[in-house]
Amino acid sequence: MNKYILSKKLYRNELATFYSFLIGFLIALAVGSLILFIQEKNPFDVFSLMLKLSIGSVNSLSNSLNKAIPLILAGLGISIINSVKLWNIGAEGQIFMGAIALNFVYINTSINNSQIYILLLLVSGFLGGAFCILFPAITKVLFGVNEIITTLLTNYIVFGLTIYLINGAWKDPASLNFPAAAYVNESVYLPTVLGKLSSGFLICILFTLIAYYIKDKSVFGYEMRIAGGSELTAIYAGISAKQKAFFAMLIGGGFAGLAGAIELLSQTHRVSTGISQGFGYTAIIVAAITGMRPIGIFLVGCLFGALTIGGSVIQTIGVSSYIAEIIQATTLFGALIAQFFFSYEILKKDEND
Amino acid sequence: MSSPILEVKSVSKSFGNIKALDNVDFYLQKGVVHGLLGENGAGKSSLMNVLSGIYLPESGTIKIKNQNIHKMNPDIASSFGVGMVHQEFRLIESFTIKDNLTLSKANIFTDNFEEAYEKYSEIFTLNSSYLTPINELSVGEKQKVEIMKLIFKNSEIMLLDEPTAVLTPQETLQLKESLDQLSQEDDKTIVLITHKLKEIKDFTERIFVMKNGKMVAKNLETEKVTDQELIELMMGEVKTSNFKKDNKKGDVKLEVKDISLTNSEQFKSLDDISFTIQSGEILGVAGVSGNGQVELANVICGIEKEFQGRVLINSQDVSKKGVKSRKKLSLSYIPENRLGVGLAPGVSVLDNSAIKEYFKASYGPHLSKGKMLGYLNDLIKQFAIKAPDVKAEISTLSGGNMQKLLMGRELISNPEVIVAAQPTRGLDVSAVEAIHKLIINQRDKGSAVLLISEDLDELFKLSDRIIVLYEGRVVKEVGIDSATIETIGYAMAGIDE
Repeated sequence: MNKYILSKKLYRNELATFYSFLIGFLIALAVGSLILFIQEKNPFDVFSLMLKLSIGSVNSLSNSLNKAIPLILAGLGISIINSVKLWNIGAEGQIFMGAIALNFVYINTSINNSQIYILLLLVSGFLGGAFCILFPAITKVLFGVNEIITTLLTNYIVFGLTIYLINGAWKDPASLNFPAAAYVNESVYLPTVLGKLSSGFLICILFTLIAYYIKDKSVFGYEMRIAGGSELTAIYAGISAKQKAFFAMLIGGGFAGLAGAIELLSQTHRVSTGISQGFGYTAIIVAAITGMRPIGIFLVGCLFGALTIGGSVIQTIGVSSYIAEIIQATTLFGALIAQFFFSYEILKKDEND
Repeated sequence: MSSPILEVKSVSKSFGNIKALDNVDFYLQKGVVHGLLGENGAGKSSLMNVLSGIYLPESGTIKIKNQNIHKMNPDIASSFGVGMVHQEFRLIESFTIKDNLTLSKANIFTDNFEEAYEKYSEIFTLNSSYLTPINELSVGEKQKVEIMKLIFKNSEIMLLDEPTAVLTPQETLQLKESLDQLSQEDDKTIVLITHKLKEIKDFTERIFVMKNGKMVAKNLETEKVTDQELIELMMGEVKTSNFKKDNKKGDVKLEVKDISLTNSEQFKSLDDISFTIQSGEILGVAGVSGNGQVELANVICGIEKEFQGRVLINSQDVSKKGVKSRKKLSLSYIPENRLGVGLAPGVSVLDNSAIKEYFKASYGPHLSKGKMLGYLNDLIKQFAIKAPDVKAEISTLSGGNMQKLLMGRELISNPEVIVAAQPTRGLDVSAVEAIHKLIINQRDKGSAVLLISEDLDELFKLSDRIIVLYEGRVVKEVGIDSATIETIGYAMAGIDE
C-alpha cells in the first residue's frame, strides 16, 4: 500500500511569492466575478469601472495612493516585527495611538515654524505607535506572553481610549455633538504633491527603503534573522534574542503609529474614529501576501489602496463596496494556498519506509 | 523456566542507510526486572519503540503471551499490556494527578480509584493528593506519576526508558524499591533501559546488552556477570590511534578553576572542575551524556553565566565576560547541537556562515553582503563544502556539509582555544575522517582543544589526555598512554576501581 506524505521542498523558486500572489489575485478576481454574476452584474463592466475610477485619472490615482499609505506603513511595521518571527496584530491600535500621541503633543505645544512642527508631530506619532506596543513587548520579553494576544487586545484598549477622548476631554464643542476632537490648524496639514496626493506618500517611499535597509542590509536585520531562526543560536552567537525582539516590536509599532499621524495630518485633520478603517488589519494581509518583503508590501499596498477606492466608487452603480474587501481577503487565501504548493511537495511513500 | 511473556525474534529496522536494529532477539520472563544496556545509539530506544508499536519492523516476529502479532501498533501493544515510559514525559501539565492517571480508556480503576491511588502512591512514596496539578510536582514526582499511569492502564510489561536520568540518588533508590515491589507483588514484567552500569546491577535480575543495533548478550544473570564483562560488551573493541601523538605542547591556553554550577532546582550539574589545556594539546572529555558536558562547554564559552569559579583564556580571566568578547580572545565553540545552536534553522547558508564574526563584515550599522559572500567562498574552498545555493536555507546541506560549514566557520580564523562537543555525531565515515583531520590539523597549528565526545574510539584516536565526567565531577584524569578502555569505562559508569 502506498502512503502519500507532504514534504517540505528544500529549494524554493525565488519568485514563488510573486507567482503565489498572482495566482491568489486571479482566484480572487474569479470569485469576485462569480459573486457579481450572481447579482446579475457584468463582472467585466464592474472591474473596468473600478479600474477607471481608481487609477484612470490623476485625481483617482492620488486617492488610491493616499489610501495605500497607512496600509504600506503598517505592513512594513508588521514585516519588521516578523523578522524575529513575531506577529503584530496590533497595528490598528498603533495607528490610533499614533494619532492620539500627535494630538496630545499638538495641544500642549506650539511652534511657529510649521515645517519643524509637522516633523515634531510625525515623530510623536511614531513614538505613540511604539508606546502602544511597549506593554506587549515587555510582557513578551520578560514573561514570554504570546504577542498575538496582547497586541490584539491593545487594539480594543486604544479604541476605547479614542472613544473616551473624543467624547470627553478632547471633544470639540464646535462639532455639533459628533464625537471628534478639534481640527488641527491648517498650517500643519501635510502638503499635497500631485493632485490630491499627500506628501505622506513620499514619507511612505522613504520608510519602505528604510525598512528594506533594516531587514536586508543592516547588522540589526541580520541579528533579527538569527534570533528569529533560533533563540539558542542567537545566544550562542552572543546576540540577545530578547533585546532584538524588543526593539523590533518598538520599531514596527512606530511605523504603524506614523501611519496614524500621516492619516491625521493629511486626511481627517482631527482625532476621530475615522483615523483608520481597519487599515491595521488589512496591513496584515498585505504583509502576509508578500512574504514580509518591504518592496512587495509597497506594491501590494498600492494595489489594495486602489481596490479600496475602486470598491467605494462602484457603489454608485449599485454594487456593494464589499466586493473590494472580498477580493483582498480572497487574494490572501489564494496566495497562501499557492505558497503552500510552492513550499511543499506530495511524495509517494512506501508504508514500510 | 516457563515460556517468556514476550518474545522477539530476529527483528530488523533501518532508517535510511542506518540499521537501527539488526536481527535482534529479545525475550522477557514474567515478574522479572530486566535491564537493557547499551551506549547512546546502540538501538535500545528503537527496540522499545518496536515493542510499543510505534515503529513497524521490516522483518522478524513478535510474540506476546504466546500470540503472534503481525501488524503491531500502539493500540495492539497496549491491549496486550505493553506500556512505556518515555524519556520525555507525556503528562498533561495543567491536569491533576487523577486526571492524568485515569485519562486512558484502558483505565482499570474506575470504581475504586482512591483505594488504588492509596496503594500505589505508598509504593512509590508519592506524598501528594491526587488533586494536585502536574505542574506543581517536581521532576521526580512526575516520573512516579508516569510509571503509575502504566499500572492504571493495566500494563503488565512496563518499558522504562532511562527513568533515572532525571532523578537524584535518593529518588533512584526509592525507584528501585518501588520496582522491586511491583515485580514481586503485582507480578509486573519490567524493562529498565539505561547506560548506567551501576543501576543495571542494582535494579535488575537479567541483563541484555546492545551494541550498534545488535543484541550482543542475552539474558545474563546479573549476579554472575562482572562489571568488566559488561563494559567490554557495551563498548566493544577500541581501535588504537592512527594519528601521531608527537605534537609539541606550549603555554597553557585554557585554564578552568574550581567551576561549579547549580541549577534552579539546587541540582549541581558541575562540581568543582579544574583543568588546563596547553597549546598543541587535545584534552578529551569522556562521559555518558548528561553528566555535565554541555554545561561545562557553556561555562567556558560564556553562554552560561551563573557559575562559581574562574575561566582563563591565555591567562586572562574571562569569567565575567560575554560570548563575543571571549570570541575576540580567540575562542571557538563547536556546539553539540549542530542545527538549533551552532546553526540557525530556516536561515540561509550565507547568514549561518557569518554567525561567528559577522561584526567583521559591518561598517557601523551596515552589514556588507559582499564581505560575507567573500568569507563564505573562502570557507567553501578551504573546507571543501558542497553548498549548491548559498541563499537557500541551511537545511539544504547534508549533515556532513553542515558540520564542515560549522567547523570551518569556527576554525578558519585559526583560534587558540577550541571547544568541540560531539563533533562527529551522526556523520558518515568519510565525514568523520575529514572532521578528525581538521581537529588534528588545528592541534598541530598550536590550538588548545577541548574535545567532548561519547565516542571512545574518537577520544582515544585524537586526545593527548582524557578526563572523565560523572555526575558533574571529574572522576578520572589519565594521559593517553596509560589510558585503557576499562579504566575509562569504569569511570564513566561511576564505579571506583
